[in-house]
Amino acid sequence: MSIIVLRTATILYALAAVLYVAYFARPRHARLATAGFSALAAAFVVHAVAIGAGCSEFGGKEFFTVRGGMILAVWLAAGAYLVLHKLYRLPSVGAFVVPLALVALIPTALTDPSHPDVPAELVRNAAFHVTAAVLAVALFGIAFGVALMYLLQEREVKGKRFGALFSRLPSLGTLDRLNQRLVRAGFVAFTLALLAGTLNAAAFWKSYWSWDPQQVSSLAIWALYATMVQLRHRGWHGRRYAVLTVVGFVVLAGAMGAVQSFPGATRHTGDYGMRAAAPTEVLP
Amino acid sequence: MSERELFLVGLSHHSAPIEVRERVALSGDALKAALQELVRAEAASEALVVSTCNRVEVLVHAASDAAARAFFTERAADARAHLYAKRGVDAVRHFFRVAASLDSMVVGEQQILGQVKEAYGVACAAGTAGAFLSRLCNHAFATAKRVRTETEIGRGITSLSQVAVELVEKIFGDLAGRAILLAGAGKMGALSAKALAGLGADRLLVANRSPERGLALAAQVHGAFRAWEELPRLLVEADVILVSTGADRHVITKEMVQAAMKARRDRSMCLIDLSVPRNVDPACAEVMDVYAYDVDDLEKVVAGTREARQEEATRAERLVEADVLAFVQERRARAALPVLGKLRRQAEQLARAEAERTLAQLGGLDERGRRSVEAMAQAIVNKLLHAPTARLKKAAACGDAELPAAAAQLCGIEPDAPDAAPAPAAGEPERRAGPDDASRAGSPDAARLSS
Repeated sequence: MSIIVLRTATILYALAAVLYVAYFARPRHARLATAGFSALAAAFVVHAVAIGAGCSEFGGKEFFTVRGGMILAVWLAAGAYLVLHKLYRLPSVGAFVVPLALVALIPTALTDPSHPDVPAELVRNAAFHVTAAVLAVALFGIAFGVALMYLLQEREVKGKRFGALFSRLPSLGTLDRLNQRLVRAGFVAFTLALLAGTLNAAAFWKSYWSWDPQQVSSLAIWALYATMVQLRHRGWHGRRYAVLTVVGFVVLAGAMGAVQSFPGATRHTGDYGMRAAAPTEVLP
Repeated sequence: MSERELFLVGLSHHSAPIEVRERVALSGDALKAALQELVRAEAASEALVVSTCNRVEVLVHAASDAAARAFFTERAADARAHLYAKRGVDAVRHFFRVAASLDSMVVGEQQILGQVKEAYGVACAAGTAGAFLSRLCNHAFATAKRVRTETEIGRGITSLSQVAVELVEKIFGDLAGRAILLAGAGKMGALSAKALAGLGADRLLVANRSPERGLALAAQVHGAFRAWEELPRLLVEADVILVSTGADRHVITKEMVQAAMKARRDRSMCLIDLSVPRNVDPACAEVMDVYAYDVDDLEKVVAGTREARQEEATRAERLVEADVLAFVQERRARAALPVLGKLRRQAEQLARAEAERTLAQLGGLDERGRRSVEAMAQAIVNKLLHAPTARLKKAAACGDAELPAAAAQLCGIEPDAPDAAPAPAAGEPERRAGPDDASRAGSPDAARLSS
């Protein structure tokens, strides 16, 4: 049931992406951007229904997989973009962010939901950790898109190419500020996710730190983004900062992919190491 | 009485130097008086004067353009050599092109439509814009709007200072909390600084070698004067630097910029060199987060706009031509309406008279019977006139003036009667205009005929 709703949402995302890209190509037709916003808002609502349906079908276990995390990330990114649009009115950003969200969502809509054997207790307790982590990834993802726009626009401005891209992309100053705020907000979410995760680990794995590859890579990524926030504080900005944002997100995505692609390397998969922990409690 | 048509007499930047244009240009009460003077010779004629810094054009809907020509020769005897005169459809086309900014010095500029609208407003206030000029203006305004929305003729940047503004906007967004430095007292620099003021910079600093000129310029652009020797420090303080000095060498070098960027903690800097020979070392652009431009770069943008607009102008011309033809055709179709109206009135009168006669003879008919007889008479009129009505309207729309005239003759309609249509000549958009014109269009007769 939830997969059908999710596919409907995917079609709406595709429609929004087409409208935003069309607007980018023909900025004189402002209605395209308005229609894109409406399609995205509709997609967001349908997506929310899909997530709700998924929760009621599988008790939220679905979201403890990479596929589920992706579904959640796209939804949060779409929500974040809708909020950003209300604050900044930058429809041309939609032409970069919405297709990115669509590409992330399509594989999840094509595969059936898996629902690993995660105990309901873990689902309840780690819900905040998962949501915060996914929100952080979503915000870093948007920042990545914005940083790409910055680098594109910087090339045009510096290279004196006053063509179509130059006139369509927002100003460097705006993109730089937007990037900074997204990274900062993402960093806050990421920090909360790490803290909650550590508490969850203590409760379920009986140890705050167990050299789980996911823990190690997350801490490294946290340090990377902490450095970025600090550098920004000390005046870093512009091209250098945009490059950092792009590199940061590539490292993040690469690390997540690497950790998940070695089966058994991390307990952040399948039943989250619950079966291994369970016998000691079950056996008399 | 001879035929009225549209005449346009004028001179513009294409045909006359500014010395002539400024002598015939008018505004305010003088313009109103001139308009009334234009229609004095001939009752019920109409007049409109478009007077801008680039053109003075007189439009009259009259029997001849004598008054319009006199308008110019009375004011400047040597204007005669620079005048152009158009009539009928050529005058309509010219007016449409002017309103659509196709005849402007900078094709696609936005002001001209407002100026033409204002000219129409003045003519209305002076009471010299009647039914014809009102329709002409409304059509021209609609066409100008179409040209603006359906082509990209208004797009792009047409002046160097505007390019500077656009560039700075693309780099910084807005200039809140930032400072502009104007180095040197060149004219382009001052112009650009004024244009940049719209982006809301916090401070405008002026540095110049000669303090006297610098102080004067600072007062002129509402900036703060700084000594020329402070330049390296000013490069740290200011975010946008406009350089416009008369020096023949680089006054801002890469080393200066590198040092400044270090002190600025790499905050972006925009250097715009408006001087020839260049005052900013081109190598400055190599420094990260420094955006440097010279006059050539700005010039390229303007040239690009000009080129793009030229292309769009071709599309716009086609659009205008179609609208001109539509306007002329509509006027011709309207010219057939009086014949039709007269024909129908005559027929209806006849039908009513015959019905009354018949009813009197029959006598003692009840209400229903009376109504049937009247309806029958009316139906005969409608059916008889159906085909002639359609053919006349079609002929009029095609510009065929003979058929309406023949119809008038055939049916014994007096062609010279005050409300009958004179045969319009090819290329002549309108018979005489008057306040009765508009009311006739809305009369029941006309409404029925056109339904």
